[in-house]
Amino acid sequence: MADACKYITLVSSDGYEFVVLRDAALVSPTIKGMLRSQFTEAQTGRCTFPEFSGVVLEKVAEYFHYWHRNRDREDVPDMEIPVELCLVLVQAADYFNLDARPSLRDPA
Amino acid sequence: MSRQNQQPRRIMGPQSALTDFLASHNISANQIRQDADARRRAALNDQTETTDQSPGQTTEASATSAPATPPVPTVPVRSTRATRATVASSREAAPRKKEQNAIDKIKAGKKFQKRKRGLDDEDDEDDLAFAIHQERSAPLPGQMGNCANCGIRFTVTPYTRNAPDGGLLCGPCGKELDKDSAGPKKKAKRAGGGAVGRRRQLQSNILDGTYALGAKSLMTLCIETLAKNIDLAEDLGDLPSSVVDKIARKLSKHRLLDSRTLSLFLQPEADEVYIYDGARLTADDYIRIFQTVPGLKKLKIRNGIHFKDSVMDYLISRHIELETFYIHGANLLSETKWKEFLHAKGTSLRSLQVYWTDKHFTDDVLAVLPATCPSLTRLKVCHNQQVTGTGITAIAQIPTLRHLSLDLRNEAHSDIYVDLVARIGAGLQTLSLTRVPGLDNTVLDAIHTHCRALEKLRVTDSEEVTDAGFARLFAGWANPGLRFVDVQKCRQLDAAHPRANPDGLGFCSDGFRALMAHSGTTLAQLNVHGCRGIGAAALEEVFAPDKVYEAMVKLEVSFCEEVTDFVVGSIFRCCPELRELNVFGCMKVRNVRVPRGKILVGVPNARGMVIEGDDDDGDEE
Repeated sequence: MADACKYITLVSSDGYEFVVLRDAALVSPTIKGMLRSQFTEAQTGRCTFPEFSGVVLEKVAEYFHYWHRNRDREDVPDMEIPVELCLVLVQAADYFNLDARPSLRDPA
Repeated sequence: MSRQNQQPRRIMGPQSALTDFLASHNISANQIRQDADARRRAALNDQTETTDQSPGQTTEASATSAPATPPVPTVPVRSTRATRATVASSREAAPRKKEQNAIDKIKAGKKFQKRKRGLDDEDDEDDLAFAIHQERSAPLPGQMGNCANCGIRFTVTPYTRNAPDGGLLCGPCGKELDKDSAGPKKKAKRAGGGAVGRRRQLQSNILDGTYALGAKSLMTLCIETLAKNIDLAEDLGDLPSSVVDKIARKLSKHRLLDSRTLSLFLQPEADEVYIYDGARLTADDYIRIFQTVPGLKKLKIRNGIHFKDSVMDYLISRHIELETFYIHGANLLSETKWKEFLHAKGTSLRSLQVYWTDKHFTDDVLAVLPATCPSLTRLKVCHNQQVTGTGITAIAQIPTLRHLSLDLRNEAHSDIYVDLVARIGAGLQTLSLTRVPGLDNTVLDAIHTHCRALEKLRVTDSEEVTDAGFARLFAGWANPGLRFVDVQKCRQLDAAHPRANPDGLGFCSDGFRALMAHSGTTLAQLNVHGCRGIGAAALEEVFAPDKVYEAMVKLEVSFCEEVTDFVVGSIFRCCPELRELNVFGCMKVRNVRVPRGKILVGVPNARGMVIEGDDDDGDEE
């Protein structure tokens, strides 16, 4: 039932909610794993990340959409990363498994 | 006419748009009119003085005109030719005075003081001040001006040239001047930037193998930002070591690793330190590595120029037992210090990789290895000028070796390699012999006989091995399929008879067939660069429609003459996982359609080096 939904919700530790395209969020193997199996997240389409604050999760959500928008393009302009968030975002990228260049066609 | 005697404009009806506009810019039409009248009166006064008219008349005239403030066109001042001339002269006099004022101002200015320092006498000073004045009072772009050379009236543009002695030049005169003083004045064009720079960057990425469609990963973006602002970072915190390693790699790209940033990568509890560019580190910095990271097991230093005897002395004096030691460019380490190190720390050493040394990593150092390093599994000696056959014989005494790479500048006889393979070949997983011109079939036969665990094989630049030798090596070889094969530039070299190859020298058709039959399913990387003896029939047979090489990721067939459009197409079909295909110098490749997401490098056509897939190949998955 949740599979039918185009969007999923990401919830930060301080309660901020970000509604993102499911396809965009699937770039993260971590989220993909959460949504694929029979976890609560898969049924509700709501993923809670007590590890990250709203500021960081907002940037991550922004990246999901940035990636999704540019997934077929060459020579993509870089997304702005605020310097002060840099180190936290590296940790977030590690958590969300966003370190390798995401493959174009992951067999879903 | 009726307006002319009207009272002040306050009681006027609607104003014109121009008046409004001027008023909004703090320009009063009234003010302009009054100024014009004042000028006219002054002119009249002059006129009366010069033409000896009665003063009463003029005062009368001025008295009548003053309150009326007539607009210019309605009350024309009738003047004789003489008066006009005087007016003109007085008009010229006024600007000259203004000019003088302006020049004086310029002389007092800071800029002038700066520029005049090089000048000697006052005349020069005056000239300079005049030149500056002319520069400033020159017409702006869009206005009209007279050419200083030919006097033609022309429109000034931003590209209008200055005349050598003040004033501006019209188009044709400017071109003449350009011709005279062409060359040295032109600045070199700035490279990069803009569309061309981006395209070049793209091509560069393709050649680096870092190209892909779509956005960069978040990790990459963050690390790039971090590298740009590394001077702000105090501490990297508790990042996973893989991430720290990525940051280190990124920094080395811009040679940003110095004494200060090194501390970011030295975590006391870590057991590995990878320095990708140590060119800016001093001997003290290297010593600091051993001070801060006491549990060091894996050490990798590239461009470790200052890793010298004193550093090695310190390392020997500490309780650090290195397992992996990778050093590149440490030419200041002496031979005795190498031996001392191996004697003191050799027991724990599992991997020793030494790159780019001139003099001090010698046969004698290698001779010490068998006795001092009982657990050495990986040995790599690259770009070494001292090691000879004697050293290779010593390597043959290390039975624990699993990975051996040699790239020596001295030639050794094939018998030495045969002996090496016979002694330790059975356990070897990697055998890499780069630039071995004298290596012959006996070594290949020895590999066939002894090697049973080989995954990676490299034999390059050999002028002696033959096609039959390669065929014998791969045919019926008990070794499981290889993962990596590099036989580049194994070919017949004869400038007098470049086409003839009666002895079948090099890696040719039969060897290629045998190799693909033996290892086709496991090969991930194959390099047959410059093996021009591989025939069209062999290529078509190997990449026939019914063959699939699932593991193949990177294939290099540059300078193989028989590679055609058809062969390239077949390669893409047979190798579903292929990422990059290099076809430099394959002149028969002309116009290939590249499947999406694959990279073809080196196409010899005007479109550039690379054709990136624009053709969506649906049955890719």
